[in-house]
Amino acid sequence: MAQTTPELEPGGAIVETPPTTTSHDLHESTEAAEHGSSGLPQFEFGYWPGQIFWLLIVFAILYVILSKLFLPRVGGAIEARAAKIEGDLADARIARDEAERQSAEAAAELAQARARAQKTAADAKAAAKAEADTRNAAEEAKLHERLAAAEAGIQAGREKAMSNVRNLAAETAEAIVEKLSGQAPTRAEVDAAIARNAA
Amino acid sequence: MADPMHQFEIQQVLELPAVAGFDLSITNSALWMIIAAASVTLFFAAASAKAAVVPGRLQSVGEMLYELIHNLTDSIIGHEGKKYFPFVFTLFAFILAMNLLGMVPYFFTSTSQLAVTATLGVLVIAVVIAVGFARNGLGFFKLFVPSGVPFFVLPLVVVIEVISFLVRPVTLALRLFGNMVGGHVVLKVFGGFVVSLGALGALGIVGALVTLTGTVAITALEFMVAFLQAFVFAVLACVYLNDVVNLHSH
Repeated sequence: MAQTTPELEPGGAIVETPPTTTSHDLHESTEAAEHGSSGLPQFEFGYWPGQIFWLLIVFAILYVILSKLFLPRVGGAIEARAAKIEGDLADARIARDEAERQSAEAAAELAQARARAQKTAADAKAAAKAEADTRNAAEEAKLHERLAAAEAGIQAGREKAMSNVRNLAAETAEAIVEKLSGQAPTRAEVDAAIARNAA
Repeated sequence: MADPMHQFEIQQVLELPAVAGFDLSITNSALWMIIAAASVTLFFAAASAKAAVVPGRLQSVGEMLYELIHNLTDSIIGHEGKKYFPFVFTLFAFILAMNLLGMVPYFFTSTSQLAVTATLGVLVIAVVIAVGFARNGLGFFKLFVPSGVPFFVLPLVVVIEVISFLVRPVTLALRLFGNMVGGHVVLKVFGGFVVSLGALGALGIVGALVTLTGTVAITALEFMVAFLQAFVFAVLACVYLNDVVNLHSH
């Protein structure tokens, strides 16, 4: 079969054949015109070995080129992209975690600072209060002291005045008694009498 | 009207001496295979040139095709699918390139040649059988003996399984071949109608416009078929490979 055709002009006779012609008719008409070649160009078996041969060769070459060269490159690009996206996502996740950690740290620091400030303020307040208290106490003590001194002075003055009054009364009584009885009483008698009356 | 079969005719491009009686000359069919393979190579050379993290348009398309087939081998064959991914991808890209190049006017569609589709179908089944024996040894034949079948119908089932296995390359070849030939013939016939109707005068021009609309629609459909048939071929290759790769769970 392979030896038959190549020199033939295949299908040359069917150029004018209407499209409605069945393959059977074609077969007959071409067979009549050209020895042994069948109707459809696809059944020119003389051309089969060449097509099969070149198809296998071309397919094999294309297979080698694609599988060794281009498919790994295309697949590599796809994988590289997937890896890059994965890596970038991981980086972003790490960055987010880091940011969250830092924000938590900052919040803790802030709280600490606030506590420290509050403590300082409280301390200062307490210190000021204590100082004020001691100062108040000192002032108060001084005032008390002065008050006591004044009271003592007043007391002393009063006692002095009273004793002056008593002396005056005693001298007056002495004078009155002397005038009335002509006899001067002793000072002791006068004092005793005054003490009796005063009681 | 031009003969719709004319576009499938094989012509010699570069005559080479016969080897063992076989004519291995480069024909237009072989030439367009080479052009298709070169296109795939150039496309992926450009698409993977930069391998940028943020892909350009070309790289995006390349990666889309890559992931389309990668998901296919992954989901159908499973974890082991990685090994067969380059093979399935080469099948897909090669057939897709041949189909799409065929959509360009005056270009030749290699996948409209039964020799090409049959070779691809047989190639897939040959790889399936080779992988089956390499992985399972003689256990490969368990593929034809489904478990849980009552023994008195087993002979019948085995015969059916063997036939269905042997029919696989035939269906692979005929599906692709039929789709490409059918689509191109329909396009040619409709295109021919546009011309011959347009020559008939006023009423003919109306008819020609209707046919032209149909031709445009079918062209769009054929682009989809070109992609779909390459994809179907890849899917079926995966399914057949899965049969022998995961034979124990079959």
